[in-house]
Amino acid sequence: MKTMKWLIKREMWENKGMLLWTPVVISSAVATLGLVAAFIGKHGDWEVNGRNIGSVTVEGTARANIADTMAQAYMASSIPLLMVLSFLVFFYCLGALHDERRDRSLLFWKSLPVSDLTTVLSKVLMAVVVAPLITLGIAVVMSLVILAAGCMALMAHGTNMFGALLLSPDLYLTPLRMVALLPVYALWALPTVGWLLMVSSWARSKVFLWAVGTPVISALLMLWAEKGLHLGFDTAWYTANIVDRILLGVVPGSWLMFDRVHIMLEHEEHKLAIPQTIFNESWGTLAGINVWVGAAAGVAMIATAVWMRRRREEA
Amino acid sequence: MSAIISAANLRKQYGKSTALDGASFQVEAGRIVGLIGPNGSGKTTTLKAILGLTPFDGELSVLGMDPRTQREQLMNDVCFIADVAILPRWLKVKDAIAFVEGVHPRFDRAKAEKYIARTKLTPDMKVKAMSKGMVVQLHLALVMAIDAKLLVLDEPTLGLDILYRKQFYQNLLEDYFDENKTILITTHQIEEVEHILTDLLFIEDGRISLAASMDEVGERFTEVMVEPQFIAAANALQPLSQRTVFGKAIMLFDGVARQQLSNFGELRTPSVADLFVATMKGTYA
Repeated sequence: MKTMKWLIKREMWENKGMLLWTPVVISSAVATLGLVAAFIGKHGDWEVNGRNIGSVTVEGTARANIADTMAQAYMASSIPLLMVLSFLVFFYCLGALHDERRDRSLLFWKSLPVSDLTTVLSKVLMAVVVAPLITLGIAVVMSLVILAAGCMALMAHGTNMFGALLLSPDLYLTPLRMVALLPVYALWALPTVGWLLMVSSWARSKVFLWAVGTPVISALLMLWAEKGLHLGFDTAWYTANIVDRILLGVVPGSWLMFDRVHIMLEHEEHKLAIPQTIFNESWGTLAGINVWVGAAAGVAMIATAVWMRRRREEA
Repeated sequence: MSAIISAANLRKQYGKSTALDGASFQVEAGRIVGLIGPNGSGKTTTLKAILGLTPFDGELSVLGMDPRTQREQLMNDVCFIADVAILPRWLKVKDAIAFVEGVHPRFDRAKAEKYIARTKLTPDMKVKAMSKGMVVQLHLALVMAIDAKLLVLDEPTLGLDILYRKQFYQNLLEDYFDENKTILITTHQIEEVEHILTDLLFIEDGRISLAASMDEVGERFTEVMVEPQFIAAANALQPLSQRTVFGKAIMLFDGVARQQLSNFGELRTPSVADLFVATMKGTYA
């Protein structure tokens, strides 16, 4: 346990610039844009739920509805940040076992009584737990700032949303739901994380080309064989179930695409709050076989990475 | 038995080339052993085998453990500094100390800090801002603070200037080495280590060609500045090597009685470097 704590710290020291400062900078940019839009943007043209609230004071049911929408949707401003998270985790994994080989510090790490398994697991944890948590933390702060700015802008137009918002449970539940989705994210990300770590531990150079080129080119070859040679390949299946899973699994919410979940329909039928629907549907994907097959493949590839780190000899 | 390392018939192939061809040797506790050989003779492969960094054939026991299967456990008692095992550029001095303290049960922070205090290293300094000599100082500080039984050094002073090199070995002898520790060292800068070695291992073409303590080396090998009139007689005793310095023939003998040799001229104990050159001649021919 103590070793793991230090390994995580070690990863933080090495990747602070990428995993902490990148989301901070991007969220600052998004927040700045949000603030600019709220205060300098076109006045008198505010529409919420189809009602123009730019010049009228909104009260009663209408205000409650707006408060609901805002409380449910305010984390939407963190979508750019979550997309960036996919890239961060992707490139973190790609470098995780390759950089130490390239700069030859591998032998220094290996001179310490830390097993290859523990080391690789610390990198997996970093990718599927620590990095997402950091980004989520920043995302929550940023979303709240933008929400507060929006409310102040509304206030300037005579509508006070603060009270209604603060009383709305969704305001607090939305971030909690996102954190509670972490296990779902981790499981769906495992195939990609495993694939990238495996390539990272194995490729001598050009890790990105190996990681992305291999699946993409193989898919193209299959497509060519399928269409050109009329061989019985199912390229669409291969792309959806192999290529996408090992390359796009680190995208938050990828499971909604992989499992073809129909959020909107559900929402219409049962009148659930959208974040709650997403949350339920996300956990619901764990009932399917898809996620577990991928996770098992991911674990196997991580095991290969451990084996490679242990056995691989560096010139 | 006090053998820290015992190796029997180590073999290792890299494709078609043979790195280790049946090397066998023992290293006793409390010794400073120089593993010396020409480039490509299997030195580094031997060290890698001892550290569990490479698969190989043969029997090898380090501190009673098999490095192939008990690597992590072994690393509790073994430290190594290799020219190729460099510290990562982003590492800060204080983080390096904290990390090793965190993962190594035998690390003594006070010792490391004491050693660092004697250098120009500062806690917030990153490796990328250090000279090569400073990086080695940091690495040495980390390693010296670990109470390990075996320290393996692979060309530890490569690329350092003479001041750093002298200081490195001085620190090692004065502050680190004691009868409970064993040091195994490879280097091409033989002159600089020969006075600290207690034992010699020469390795040639993947095999140990000489294993002796320095005392035995002194007894076994003799260098003679042969007077011109005795050259034929001396040659009859089959010297290992012969060279000429200032017009005088200097011959190196293996296992010839000193008494007998003293008739030919002035005697002296050969330097390890001369011995190395004599025994390895023809390596690259």
